[in-house]
Amino acid sequence: MAEIRDIELPADEHLVRELRAGDLVRLTGEIVISAGLPAYRRLLSELHQGIAPPLGLRGRALFHVGSLGEEAGGEYRLRYLNPTTSTRFNAEMPELIRGLGIRFAGGKGGLGDESAAAMRDIGCVYLSFLGGGCTLLSDAIRRVTAVHWTEMVEHYRLVRVEVERLGPLTVGIDTHGASIYRDLRDDAQARLPDILSGLAEAREIR
Amino acid sequence: MAITYDVLKSVTSQMYARSLRAVPADAKKALAGARTRETNPVARNTLDLMVANATAAEERGHFLCSDSGVPTYQIRVGTQARFDGDVKRAIRDGFAELVAASDPPLLKHVTNPLTNERGHAGKDMPIVTFDLVDGADDVEIICSPKALGSGRWAALEIFTFPSIAEIEEYIMKVVLTAGSQACPPVVVGVGIGGTFDYATKLAKESVVRPIGQSHPEPLIADMEKRLLEAVNKTGFGPMGTGGATTAMAVHVDYASGHGFTPVAVCFNCWIDRRTRVRISNDGTVTETE
Repeated sequence: MAEIRDIELPADEHLVRELRAGDLVRLTGEIVISAGLPAYRRLLSELHQGIAPPLGLRGRALFHVGSLGEEAGGEYRLRYLNPTTSTRFNAEMPELIRGLGIRFAGGKGGLGDESAAAMRDIGCVYLSFLGGGCTLLSDAIRRVTAVHWTEMVEHYRLVRVEVERLGPLTVGIDTHGASIYRDLRDDAQARLPDILSGLAEAREIR
Repeated sequence: MAITYDVLKSVTSQMYARSLRAVPADAKKALAGARTRETNPVARNTLDLMVANATAAEERGHFLCSDSGVPTYQIRVGTQARFDGDVKRAIRDGFAELVAASDPPLLKHVTNPLTNERGHAGKDMPIVTFDLVDGADDVEIICSPKALGSGRWAALEIFTFPSIAEIEEYIMKVVLTAGSQACPPVVVGVGIGGTFDYATKLAKESVVRPIGQSHPEPLIADMEKRLLEAVNKTGFGPMGTGGATTAMAVHVDYASGHGFTPVAVCFNCWIDRRTRVRISNDGTVTETE
């Protein structure tokens, strides 16, 4: 079995720069989650206008993860959380990573090359969650510490949640310029002519 | 005897609920098979997590994925089937009832495409299609909730008198575009020919075909086999972080058409969400998947 590294949040830049694409990690501490494109667009627009985000994100984890919460007995509880497709935020993330100075980005499916460049410069890694990992990932929920932008539907809000041993998550993009997503895409593209000639041969054999 | 509004409402509602909480048996088997073949440790870890999440969701009656998507139903109506009550309303009411009663609750994923307003209901929701099956005295229903992860990467192109090589190249191009994003290992559904709408219908019907069931025509069965091998050579692997299992199956179907040949490609994610039920005129309900 691959080794899993346990990380306490907030994690400093040095630790994050030690991580390599393909490493497995588990997180304990406070993360910030939102699966809403309107939320990321709002963060970016307010960044452009010089408006501070409703919470300090410098050195923190901001994930493309949605959640469902319920108010019960004056307490806001999360029933579940789960990642969404990160490439939807390709346009917003490079500037957000730089502007907000986040230490961890993540969700599922990876981010583009401009985000990877921002991550290398800032000292931020991308973590891949199991898509459709709702039941197990939700076991890590400890408590909600704050909910911002409650005027939006639930999975769009910025939710601060304390997690315990969230993961394992795969480091998909590291600070050394390695991106599993770019490498696999480029490899597959480079191999496509071979794959197509393999298909042609298989057709002839029949 | 007839299939009543009440039976239709409760069956379709339960099918949607079950689709969100269990991986079909054939997909579970495919994931386990992939686990034995994978040598990449990250891929093995991801497949283990998938299987563990499937087991946990089933045992605890929890959701596998937070994106409950939009409910879609393919309904095959036997020409001898009899109905008592409004079929489409039964499905709509069943969905509304489920939304109201679901524990855990469903997130709002039903989106007005023009205003982007989100909710649990909307125009033409659930999405239902009907077909007739000559002679049958029952109705077969397939529920396959469609979420963004895999739903986003479906594609269609219309060719003019394409060769099989061109068709297969296009399918590979769509698979490469989806890459890590469709929550692999996926099932790929392909529809070739017919018309613009019919090709996509064939692709959707193919994607819900049970894994391990080849197309009856050898020409197409061979195409499925070689395409599965080709897709798995891309190396995207489970959740697109590398490995030998990018697809669990490729299912292809075709229809005659004009020389303009649409090729439609769609995906189901590793959860392979689908349930299948048969309801007879006497009200007997049989879960076949």
